[in-house]
Amino acid sequence: MSSPKDETENAKLREKFTTPTNFKTRALFYNEADPCTDLENQLTEFVNSLFWVLESKRLERSREKLERVSLLLAPFEKKDFVGLDMDSRNNKKRCTGRMTKHLGDLCLQAGLLSESITYYHSAAETLKSVNDWLWLGAAFEGLCASSALVLYPNIQRNVSLHRNASLPEGSPKRTNSITPSVGTVRRDIINMLPPDEISKKYREAIIHYSKYQNAGIIETEASFKAARISVEQSHSLQAASFLQNVVFINLTLSEQEKIQRFETLSDLYVQIGFTRKAAFCQRLAATRHVSPQNPTPNWNKCYTLILQSFPGHKISLDPTEMCHDNQPSGWPALQIQLLQELVVAAKRMGHSALATRHMTFLLQTMWLHLSTSEQKEFAIQLQSLSSQCEGAPVPLVLDSGIVIPPANLSNVPVCLGFSLRNLQPHLQPRKIETFKQDIGPFLFTPIKFGTLERTNNKPQSKMDFLWVENDVCEVTLKLVNPLPLELKVSNMRLLTSGVVFESIPETVVLPSDTPTSLTLNGTPKESGELEILGYSTHTLGVKSNCRLRYMSNFLPSYSIEVIPILPTMEIKTSLPQSATFSSLQNFENVVTSASISLYNGESTECTITLTNNSHVPIEMIEVSIQSVLEASLQDQIFKWSQENLESQLPLMPNGTASLTLYLYSAANFLTSGFGPTELSSGVFGSSHGSSSIMSMSAGPSSLPSRLNSPVYSAMGSSFHGARRNELNSSFRSSNSGQSSMTTAGYRSPGALTLPQHATTAVVEGQLQLRYSGGAGFQAGYCRSCSIFITLEMLPCLQVTNWDVLPAETSSQFYLVLDIANMTSQEMELHYTPTKHMLIESHESCRIPVPVNRCPLSKLTKLYMDQNSITNNHLDLDKICSDHIANLVDLRWQLLSLNTKGKATLKGITLTPNMLDIVRMSPLNWEVSINGDFLKPQEEINCDAGDCLSVRIGISNSLEKPLQQLVLSVQFYQDHRNGTHNYKLETRVVIVGCAKKVLPILEPQSKAWHACSVLFLTPGQYKMDIKCCTPDHSTTNSSVVGASGHSWRYIPVVDVNVNI
Amino acid sequence: MDDTLFEFIHSEIVNYVVDSNIRTKDEEEDLSNLEYIGFSVGYKIIERLTREMPRFKDELDTMKFICTDFWSAIYKKQMDNLRTNHQGVYVLQDNEFKFLTRMSNGKQYLDLAPRYVAFTCGVIRGSLANLGIHCLVTAEVQNMPACKFHIQVQRN
Amino acid sequence: MAVCAAIIGKDNSPKYFTCINPDEELGFQYKVLSSLDVVEEKLNNGTKSGSDSRELYLGLLYSLERHKIYGYVTNTKIKFIIVIDSTNTSLRDNEVRSMFRKLHSIYADNVCNPFYIPDEPINSKSFDKSVKNIMSGA
Repeated sequence: MSSPKDETENAKLREKFTTPTNFKTRALFYNEADPCTDLENQLTEFVNSLFWVLESKRLERSREKLERVSLLLAPFEKKDFVGLDMDSRNNKKRCTGRMTKHLGDLCLQAGLLSESITYYHSAAETLKSVNDWLWLGAAFEGLCASSALVLYPNIQRNVSLHRNASLPEGSPKRTNSITPSVGTVRRDIINMLPPDEISKKYREAIIHYSKYQNAGIIETEASFKAARISVEQSHSLQAASFLQNVVFINLTLSEQEKIQRFETLSDLYVQIGFTRKAAFCQRLAATRHVSPQNPTPNWNKCYTLILQSFPGHKISLDPTEMCHDNQPSGWPALQIQLLQELVVAAKRMGHSALATRHMTFLLQTMWLHLSTSEQKEFAIQLQSLSSQCEGAPVPLVLDSGIVIPPANLSNVPVCLGFSLRNLQPHLQPRKIETFKQDIGPFLFTPIKFGTLERTNNKPQSKMDFLWVENDVCEVTLKLVNPLPLELKVSNMRLLTSGVVFESIPETVVLPSDTPTSLTLNGTPKESGELEILGYSTHTLGVKSNCRLRYMSNFLPSYSIEVIPILPTMEIKTSLPQSATFSSLQNFENVVTSASISLYNGESTECTITLTNNSHVPIEMIEVSIQSVLEASLQDQIFKWSQENLESQLPLMPNGTASLTLYLYSAANFLTSGFGPTELSSGVFGSSHGSSSIMSMSAGPSSLPSRLNSPVYSAMGSSFHGARRNELNSSFRSSNSGQSSMTTAGYRSPGALTLPQHATTAVVEGQLQLRYSGGAGFQAGYCRSCSIFITLEMLPCLQVTNWDVLPAETSSQFYLVLDIANMTSQEMELHYTPTKHMLIESHESCRIPVPVNRCPLSKLTKLYMDQNSITNNHLDLDKICSDHIANLVDLRWQLLSLNTKGKATLKGITLTPNMLDIVRMSPLNWEVSINGDFLKPQEEINCDAGDCLSVRIGISNSLEKPLQQLVLSVQFYQDHRNGTHNYKLETRVVIVGCAKKVLPILEPQSKAWHACSVLFLTPGQYKMDIKCCTPDHSTTNSSVVGASGHSWRYIPVVDVNVNI
Repeated sequence: MDDTLFEFIHSEIVNYVVDSNIRTKDEEEDLSNLEYIGFSVGYKIIERLTREMPRFKDELDTMKFICTDFWSAIYKKQMDNLRTNHQGVYVLQDNEFKFLTRMSNGKQYLDLAPRYVAFTCGVIRGSLANLGIHCLVTAEVQNMPACKFHIQVQRN
Repeated sequence: MAVCAAIIGKDNSPKYFTCINPDEELGFQYKVLSSLDVVEEKLNNGTKSGSDSRELYLGLLYSLERHKIYGYVTNTKIKFIIVIDSTNTSLRDNEVRSMFRKLHSIYADNVCNPFYIPDEPINSKSFDKSVKNIMSGA
């Protein structure tokens, strides 16, 4: 019936499809796109009319006299009954029985269950008595079917009608019109079979059927039906046994029928949860589809069926699920065969992408279960398959809607190691600690809640180093090719997520079974968090994304922080590179080196050229030096101008800047000034250098004070051999009483030794350059690189001994130095602006340097600082030492090399007696004899019996009073053998006081003392005038030297008494 | 004869494990190695001990087997008591646990008792694990030589 | 006697598989694998329906045109499968049962092999030899 709307169109259709007039059939036409509102009603009507046809047939049959009915026959039975007496009692019964059974069928078909059960039951009774097994079986089957329908009205109807949304709301509901409601089930029908009996009767029926060769198809059907009912009854084993029976039924079936049978079996096995059995049948069906007997092979169906059998064989199409260890493992041998069959089916279907995919899957998931030869064989097969269609890591969607997930080859090659590399040390970004100051007062620090907890939970996969935007970053892989053939892996890249990362593809050819290291490079294009997920490969014609997550022994991913872009810098120096680096130092970020040899005291310049070879301007450069030297020494050796460098910033891309490094070979020119500790900590190679220096050792020695005037004693010709002893003895003999007192505890005088093994010292330093610019600078990062500088310091000038002598004027003194030329060149030495001398190679000479005495003004602080309890002697020593070092300027020049240098006496040590000479005395002396002022160094000549009147004046130059001074005059005779004779009572008479106590001497005031002396016997006398502070003086004893310090009139006055 | 041997070897294993622990210094005595040895033994021996047994009806049936045949096979006596809350907790009590009978019954060695029950806990756990019952087994010694084994079945 | 024997682990993966004719091994594997459904069903039923099915021997699992497949499950859920040629009608159920007993016995012995890790495939040659002996009915 057509919809009334399109009358014309429908008229045409009706014309075309008009049913013959003798048909009582009605045709229904529906347009494809039209709504079919009355379809269900029409169908209901159709089913209803079917019922009436059946019902009429049933009524017709049931009115017939049972005794008269003809024998109903199954088609194959005809020949069995030929020539039989149909009127026999047995056959009569047979006819009745069969008709009763037929009536049962009609009732069943018409839905009259209770009637059908009655008919079937009586039919069974009748047929059993005449041994009509075939029909008895049929009657039993009918009985079972009717009973089952009563018991399980919803049997096999669990698949509900899927209504399209297009069906109008008002259309009749299927449940109302078709399904008998549960309420209609009647359990009181007599002769109805209880559930347990149904399967028994079915079994009986099947046994009866099996007696007939031609009843195979009925038997099969009965088995299926019985199985279905068992499914309904949840008797899986029972269902299985019925299904199992199907296999034994000997049927001549076409291939298509056989396939259908297997599919039905597998369907039912699935229903009872026998997935393995179902898979078994599916596979049999699949093989039938393409068996040689099959006239119409169908690889598509074969493929689909194999795929369907996978769950039963525990194969998941997703390789990642197959690799999980906890997955119940299937049977590898079978899985391998099935996958191979699948590959063949896919290939025969002409779907080469699928074939490649499944072969990849086979190789990937079954790898461990394959023998070496199989591995090789499948790899070669894969290669030939992929030459048809390359494998790519994307899901494939079949026409049926099934999605085949990507299969990635992570076993070929095997990855044994995967590690992210830090940048080269000189490129590694470092945090600028002081940067925060530059941000200014509007610093916004977001408050991070719960940061404490989270920092503890940081995943291990987070790298503890940083990568830099736009820098080439590296990941090292260790790969092994497990195949017994050479493997080419191309297009290897890193798989990342997070910030944009440009991965550089690599190609590698891997020999068989040899671990090979490969570095994958890439450049992050943004800053932020970068996650490295794995790597991609292209091998055997298959592109794979090997994700670490699915590979054993690796973390699921690695993450690393990428910081904003930073500049890079190239560094060159004007000096030659060092041959070797010290192994003691940490020089990982050293980019270049410079080495030079300098004589001690010499200085030079090193020009360092910095080139910006990045695309970012360098806005900041910080220079610092690192060495194991003491800071003060280090600052002497290495100098540069930070300001000059900063004036050249910013350094634009490709721009250059230069930095001048001033190098000075700062050494200790004094043989004993630098203590051993200072040397060993300061200068590399000091262990041998210092030992030789130490061997010369010892403190300053006093030179003979008898030298009345500066002596240019050119004693340099030879320090070794005969003259040495001579010199020594002469020194000793000239020792004055004064010097004997001062030098007593120090060393044998005059040991003017030249250091025998003065060796070269090597100083190593790293000039650290911290630089930054661009966004990375804003983020507070910089790079740090360093230049390794080796400075060889050659010995040059050495002061081996020194002493001080009073000069002609009280404002000066003489510093007498023994200077050794340690070089193999002739040296010109300028020691005052006007004086110079030449020293031969490896020779030594003694020079007197006039030096202004250390003025008291420099010492005032010491004298004034009453409370200072520190060792003032050392301070005094240091002030005087510095005084000398500042005033004495030793300039040397090696004539042949034209190198110049400057030596310093920094660190010169002085004995207390030396100190008295070096500094201005706090007391000024005025001595007059017989009214004449005594000049320095003047000798007094007189005759025995003469009376000398001695007048001594002292004045205090200090800015504070001196207390309890004892001024004394004493005479003695020097026997020149080390003994002094003070017992001169018989020879000298002093008139007046030899001692005078001055309770206080105010600053700038003068005190006088006078006495007369009478020499009774001629001879050589010495007059020792001194002024002592008392021993118990606590006020300022430390300042003026040891407690009970005494000042002498220097030099001691010689008195020659003649006859 | 083989009883004695079993006892000797057990005590030597205990000594060995305890000694090797001291070498690696531990505050609390770590008997997990001992327990693991027991687990392996139990996992393997159960295959042999259940060879002639009919299939177990349920968990309780299995526990009964542990108390009777199993215990007799290992310790030549049966458990003295079995209690359960029917929710996966079983308490098996042996009033004269073999490894404790050779010691003083006083409190003297009570501290050391865990050493001598750890192995057996492992045996029970291993046996039950192989029978498909995953559980925690702990032992409690209050009065030597009695020992209670607590079995807590883990269901998930 | 037996043409094929298999030992299947708790997780239903094969631990040991042998058959008289190695060429037929894959075919037997399919059959033995599909018999596991019945084994599992029987075990499930066993726990449900009580006492009579507590025997380790499960009897005939199913029969094929040419073969009969028998099953046996230990208390530790290790499955033994024996495939018998259908033509061998003289074989009694008790004989199959005793074959399984012997198999179980040598399996328990094998577990005592210090080099055998439970739940791993069995590769022992002496075990293989013993199984072959049992299969041949010796």
